[in-house]
Amino acid sequence: MRFNFGFFMREALKNIRTNFLMSITAATTTFICILVLGVGLLVSSHVEGIVGSVQQDVNIEWYLPSDMNQEEIDEMENRIGGFPEVANVSYTSEEQALTRFQETFSDNPEVYQDIGEGVLPASLEIQLNEASQADAVADRLESEGAAPGELNYPQQTIERLDAATGYMIWGLYGATALFLVSSVLLISNSIRLSIFARRNEIEVMKLVGASDGFVRTPFVFEGLLQSIVGATLAALVVVWLNLLFVDWSQSALPYMPVASGAVNTLFILFALIIVGAAIGVVGSFVSVTRFLRI
Amino acid sequence: MIRFDNVTKIFGRDTAALERVNLEVEDGEFVFLVGQSGSGKSTMVRLILKEYEPTAGAIHVRGTKLSSISRRRIPRHRRNIGCVFQDFKLLPNKTAAENVAYAMEVTGQKSRQIRTKVPQILELVGLTEKMGKKPAELSGGEQQRVSIARAFVSQPPILIADEPTGNLDPDTSVGIMQLLHRINRIGTTVLVATHDKEMVDVMRKRVVALDEGKIVRDRVKGAYLDEV
Repeated sequence: MRFNFGFFMREALKNIRTNFLMSITAATTTFICILVLGVGLLVSSHVEGIVGSVQQDVNIEWYLPSDMNQEEIDEMENRIGGFPEVANVSYTSEEQALTRFQETFSDNPEVYQDIGEGVLPASLEIQLNEASQADAVADRLESEGAAPGELNYPQQTIERLDAATGYMIWGLYGATALFLVSSVLLISNSIRLSIFARRNEIEVMKLVGASDGFVRTPFVFEGLLQSIVGATLAALVVVWLNLLFVDWSQSALPYMPVASGAVNTLFILFALIIVGAAIGVVGSFVSVTRFLRI
Repeated sequence: MIRFDNVTKIFGRDTAALERVNLEVEDGEFVFLVGQSGSGKSTMVRLILKEYEPTAGAIHVRGTKLSSISRRRIPRHRRNIGCVFQDFKLLPNKTAAENVAYAMEVTGQKSRQIRTKVPQILELVGLTEKMGKKPAELSGGEQQRVSIARAFVSQPPILIADEPTGNLDPDTSVGIMQLLHRINRIGTTVLVATHDKEMVDVMRKRVVALDEGKIVRDRVKGAYLDEV
C-alpha cells in the first residue's frame, strides 16, 4: 500500500486540533525537559571551556637572579622561546613588576607603601602549550642554569585541577544523561496518556481493517509535531539564556574566562531539537503499539 | 463461507463461552444468531473477526483457516468482513462521511473513488442530508446507519452485526433490519447476533440458537422461540 503522507499529516493535525489540551500538555512536557537538558549542556560546556582556558593559562615564572645582566636575559629569553613546549616568553623587569603589583592593589595602597624597587625580582614568564609539560620544561630550565627556588609553577595545582575537572565534567555528563532518561520517560508518559484517552478509537480503526501502521502513523506524526514545537521553543530559550549568561559574566565575572565560543550554539540548537523530536517519535510509536493488540 | 468445526472457547481457567460448536453458513445466507446475554453470540462474532483465538477447534472463513492467518494479515482478513456493533463504534471526531471514508482509506483506495462512493452509500442508507454531522449530533438509528454504511462501503462478502438494534427503539430497528436485508439480497452473507425477538420472528430467516455456549437449535425459517 502506498504511503499517503498527506492523509496521515491531515489526520495528525486534525487530532491535535480536537485534542488540543492534551497536545499542549505533551508539548509543554517536552519543552520543560528539553529546557533543563539544554541548561545542563550549557553548564557542562561552560565548565569545560573555563577549565580548558585555565589549563591553557598555565605558565612557569622564572624569578631571575639580580646579578643577571640584560644581555644574558635576552639570550635566555630567545633560547627558551625556542623550546618546542613553549608557546611564548615575556620579560618583566623589576620596575614593571612593581608597577603591576601597585596596580593590582591600587585599592589598598598600604600594601605596597613599603615596597621599593629591588624587592620584586625581574622575571621571565613562560607560557606552555600544555599544562602537562610543566615538569619537563622546569627540568630543562634547571639544566640551563635556573636554581630550583627561582622557578614558580603550580605543578601540583595543575595535577589536582586535571583530576578534579575530569570528575566534574564526567559528573555533569552523567547528570545530563540521567536527565535525558527521565525526559524520555516523562515525555513518553504524557504521550501515552493522550493516546490512552483514545484507545477506543484505535480499537475501532483496527476492527474496520486498518493495519497497525495505518493506525500508528498519524499518532507518530502527532507526537513528532508536538515534540518539535516544544523542543524548538526550549532550544531557542536555551540559546537565549546562553547569550544572556555570556553577556552578564563578562561584566559581573571578569576574572572568569567565560567565552561565548565555549558553547556551539548551532550544535546545541539542533541537538536539542533532534533529541526532542526523537523522543516524541519513539514515545508515541511505543505508546500506540501497546494499544494495537486487538 | 463461514465454518465452525468443534469450536471451544474458554476464558480464564474454566469459563467456557463456547463448547464444541459446529456451524456452517453458506454464501449469500442470512443467519440470525440468537440467545440470551452470555450465551456466546458475541464470542462467535469476535472469533470470526479473529479478535480471539479459539481454545480448541477450527474456524474457516471463505475457505481460509483463521489460525493460519498471521497477525500482520489480520487487517486484510477483516476487510472481507463488514462489521456493525451494538454501540456503533464510530470515530467521534469524524463526520458521518469521514467515518465511512475511513473504511476505504484503510484499504488504500484512491481519494477520487472515495469521494464518489461515500455519498452513494450514504444515500443508500438514507443519510445524504446528515453526512457532515458528527456522531454526537446523530440519533442512535442514524449512527447505526452510518456504521452499516461503513461496514458495507467496500462491499465485503460478509457482513456481521452484533446486536445492531440493541440500543434502538422498535421502529428504528425495523429500518435497520430492512437495510441489512437489502444488503443480503445483493449477495452479501449476513450474520446477525441478536436477542431482539420481534425482529427475528418477523424476518423468517435461518435462526441458530445458542444457550450457554452450545448450539441448541438451527432452523431454516425459524423464529426466536421455536419448539425443538
